[in-house]
Amino acid sequence: MLRYALATLRARKSGFAGAFLALFCAAALVTACGSLLETGLRGDIRTERYAAAPVVVTADQNVHHTTQKGDKTKHKAKPVYERVWLPADTADRIAAVPGAASVVPELTFPAEPLDAAGQPWDGPEAQGHAWSSASLTPFTIGEGRAPETDAEIVLDRGLADRAGLAVGDEVTVQSTDAPATYTVAGVAEGDVTEQAAVFFTDTEARRLAGHPGQDAMIGVVPAPGTSTAELADRIEDALDGTIARVHTGGDRGPAEFPDAAQARIQLVSMGGAIGGTGLLVAVLVVVGTFGLTARARHRELALLRAIAATPRQTRRLIGREALLVGVVAGPLGAIAGLPLAGWIFDRFIGLGTVPETLGQVRSPFPMAAAVLTTLLAAWLAARVSARRTARIRPAEALTEAAVEPRRTPVARLIAGFLTLAGGLVLLYVLSLLHVEPASTPVTYLTVLLLSVAVALLGPVLARVAFTVIGAPLRLSAVPGHLAAHNARAGARRLAAVITPLTLLVAMACTIVFTQTTLGDAAERQARDGVLADRVIAAAGPGVPHAAAEALRGTEGVTTVTEIVHSTVRTPGLDKYSVQGVTAGPGLDSTLDLDMTEGSLDGLADDGVAVSTVIADSKDLHPGDTLDLVLGDGTPVTTTVTGVYDRELGFGELTLSHDLLAAHIDNPLADALLLDTDLPDDRLGAALADFPGLAVRDGGHIADVMAQQRETSAEVAFLGMGLVLAFTTIAAVNTLAMATADRRREFGLLRKVGTTRRQVLRMLNLEALTVAVTAVLLGTAISFAVLTSFSAGMIGEAAPAMALTPYLLIVGTVTALTLVSTGIPARLSLPRRGPA
Amino acid sequence: MITQNVTRTSAVRLDSVTKVYGRGASAVRALDGVSVAIPTGSFTAVMGPSGSGKSTFLHCAAGLDRVTSGTASIGDTDLSDMNETQLTRLRRQRVGFVFQSFNLVPALSVRHNIGLPLRLAGRRPDRHAIAAILDRVGLAGKADAHPAELSGGQQQRVAIARALITAPDVVFGDEPTGALDTVTAKEILGLLRTCVDESGQTVVMVTHDPVAASHADTVLFLADGTIVDEMAAPTADRVADRMTHLGAWA
Repeated sequence: MLRYALATLRARKSGFAGAFLALFCAAALVTACGSLLETGLRGDIRTERYAAAPVVVTADQNVHHTTQKGDKTKHKAKPVYERVWLPADTADRIAAVPGAASVVPELTFPAEPLDAAGQPWDGPEAQGHAWSSASLTPFTIGEGRAPETDAEIVLDRGLADRAGLAVGDEVTVQSTDAPATYTVAGVAEGDVTEQAAVFFTDTEARRLAGHPGQDAMIGVVPAPGTSTAELADRIEDALDGTIARVHTGGDRGPAEFPDAAQARIQLVSMGGAIGGTGLLVAVLVVVGTFGLTARARHRELALLRAIAATPRQTRRLIGREALLVGVVAGPLGAIAGLPLAGWIFDRFIGLGTVPETLGQVRSPFPMAAAVLTTLLAAWLAARVSARRTARIRPAEALTEAAVEPRRTPVARLIAGFLTLAGGLVLLYVLSLLHVEPASTPVTYLTVLLLSVAVALLGPVLARVAFTVIGAPLRLSAVPGHLAAHNARAGARRLAAVITPLTLLVAMACTIVFTQTTLGDAAERQARDGVLADRVIAAAGPGVPHAAAEALRGTEGVTTVTEIVHSTVRTPGLDKYSVQGVTAGPGLDSTLDLDMTEGSLDGLADDGVAVSTVIADSKDLHPGDTLDLVLGDGTPVTTTVTGVYDRELGFGELTLSHDLLAAHIDNPLADALLLDTDLPDDRLGAALADFPGLAVRDGGHIADVMAQQRETSAEVAFLGMGLVLAFTTIAAVNTLAMATADRRREFGLLRKVGTTRRQVLRMLNLEALTVAVTAVLLGTAISFAVLTSFSAGMIGEAAPAMALTPYLLIVGTVTALTLVSTGIPARLSLPRRGPA
Repeated sequence: MITQNVTRTSAVRLDSVTKVYGRGASAVRALDGVSVAIPTGSFTAVMGPSGSGKSTFLHCAAGLDRVTSGTASIGDTDLSDMNETQLTRLRRQRVGFVFQSFNLVPALSVRHNIGLPLRLAGRRPDRHAIAAILDRVGLAGKADAHPAELSGGQQQRVAIARALITAPDVVFGDEPTGALDTVTAKEILGLLRTCVDESGQTVVMVTHDPVAASHADTVLFLADGTIVDEMAAPTADRVADRMTHLGAWA
């Protein structure tokens, strides 16, 4: 049997090329995604800033939650989104630990040098530190000297070179306070690539860092004779019962870069989603190509059945062929997946989704997993397509032509309707999901399930579609007439072709339009919600509070609303995006959150306004209390003042600016909203002391939002783009296979006097019918999915399907269909004389 | 009459076999109460116009298709109650097939095509047996050729070799010369004749060619699903004459 399977594979290379290609791509995709997943799970985060401190002490960056279920206690921890600072006495307690040679407290705060136009230089974000903690990296003076007065700074070499600054130059630095001018006293050498460093004197750094008495982290160097592990243990004992956590070795990286830890989680979920979707697509496609191959060798299989093979033996034969294809395609694809993994990872770094300090894990595990899953997919696909061949009646070997079975098997119809029902259930579930991480995977799963339903119900759908679409064709001359009849008669063959095309259209539309649906809604809300006449935006890290104060003191400016953003959790670990706005009587003249209940009055006294989604799910009304854990781990109890609708444009919670700004790493405002009738030049004059601030109109907030949305859309496109590329390859190869299989039919048509041109035109019309059907089905699927998605995410069934990208998708799919039908047809049709 | 020919030594036997395709108004009665016994070691031709049911006759007699009523048996084995797998086993041990065309698996060499029924039965084909049978069908030395490298006549010879390798009770031919030129056709028919004469092989062949039928010991004439006549020691002219009047006969 194995010999027979091998011989068949050798002889029918082209027939199996389709399955090979699909499995090869699937293996590559799974390897790449597996690599992302593995990096997410156990990728090393390199420490930079704390490389010279063997023991690093930071505050616990997690919120903890314990639930009691029966007699089982479940403990969960989730990271917060700003830095949690260490308690004030921590450094003293560590200093008292025997064996701690030097204890170096570290302050970290945003400090961005600005050029003459008020713009920060390109490169990584700059952080401010006290010069006394320079030894943690270590940074050593390369030129000049350490800062001696509060008006002096030391820049790291990379930053100084990028900015073209030398010792003695003056530069404006935008830190947490009003921008100020400093003299560059020295340039320090240190091995960092992920960050830029600006060193101040201890007193200046302390002033800019806020958090009086507290430290961001503390580096400890063991005394000679004390091992790092020993010292770490002792410090842990000394700090037992506090929020301080001790890190050594590879653990220091995640402590230095909490963002990288977040990126790891994202990698895990993206790797899983892309890989899983890709694998499902692979099974769907390979079932199709195996089905086509089986169709092409229908007579051979019937012959086998007639002379000697039991149904079980034919099934086993097909299964073995599939496994053989998988055995070759799997490892090759897995090898091809390695550079693919590297490329995706680089792109993610380029887009800022993954920080460079996260090292990509290279191990054989993803490849092994890819080979295994590919074999599994091949086997599964073979089992499904072998069901069909088992029904071949041996007597068919004796009949001359392979006849299309007229009726679709009942089992297939039942399976089809069940899948359709499953898809409908998922559509309903999707309309109940309000957060993106939950709803995105369900979106793709729904598309896939509905596409599987199309695959199963394909022959029926195809017959109906071709009857309708074919009506005008039948009226036309020879080619149209032939095409219409062919399409109807070959419904099952064409159904195999329609499935991947439908999937392609549905996937592409869903990927593109979930982004635009969300983006459009958010942008619309931001545009409608900003009532301010003018918006002050910053080129640097933000708008300082002093600038807001300066405008408040300017005559003609009625209201200045500062806006900051962050992410908070509840003690139950729910995560919410939050904005902080200056509370006060003028707020309703700059901001309209579309209140459905209550108002924004009372925000100043630990008030909170919540979105309708949260209000509904938590049953909150004005006057209720809501416990929150702010970004830096500080718990607060807030009182609900109102409920609003525009959460996509402004965040799920709204707090007062003063409360939120005190608990985030960068307290500078993202923007100021002004209620004013002053002309721009008067406003500009009021802001003369603040470089890099620009006066914009009210739409600026929405524009910024659209830009940010574009970046996150790009990340989604990059991931799902791979699945799309894969689906495209699959669709093209299925089409080419289906056309190449019809050599005999074309020969017959030519023999009975159809011209080559007529045959090709017939094929074009047929391909067009197929494309139109696939576009209709795919559009219907994505429209349904997007409607549910938008109902869940933005609260109204408003899918935003922009015309230009839609036409682009439809055009591409149609062109692909025509080309991948036309080329193999041309190749199999001899130019001269009938075949 | 024909029914009285039923003896214990028949290789193939049909008793009141009826075969109906489809259901209700569109039902087609392809065989209508056919009873026949084909003796071991005979060469029988089955003739009839298109739609007379001769293909259905072959399918039912060879266990490729199940009868609607009546019984079909090969040797002493009743085929009526067998399931698909049992039928397949029976075919690969006790029945040989030669079809009009597409007899061979293109991917396999001559040797492997011939050995296929044995292999599928889980047995290893004996090299000498294959060489001997190739010699018998006049293809000595062609064991490693692939079907595409052979002429139509040679392919039919390989098909006959494959049919004979299991030493079956009966070899069924479905227009085995239908796709061949007259000279080659004559050679193939001669080969089948030799199998009957020299080895006592039973051969049943469906054909529409009077010349082909004239090589048989007996010709059965089918029309509208029933056996309408039987002719012993046929000649091409007599068969053609009978065929011409078959329409009027029914």
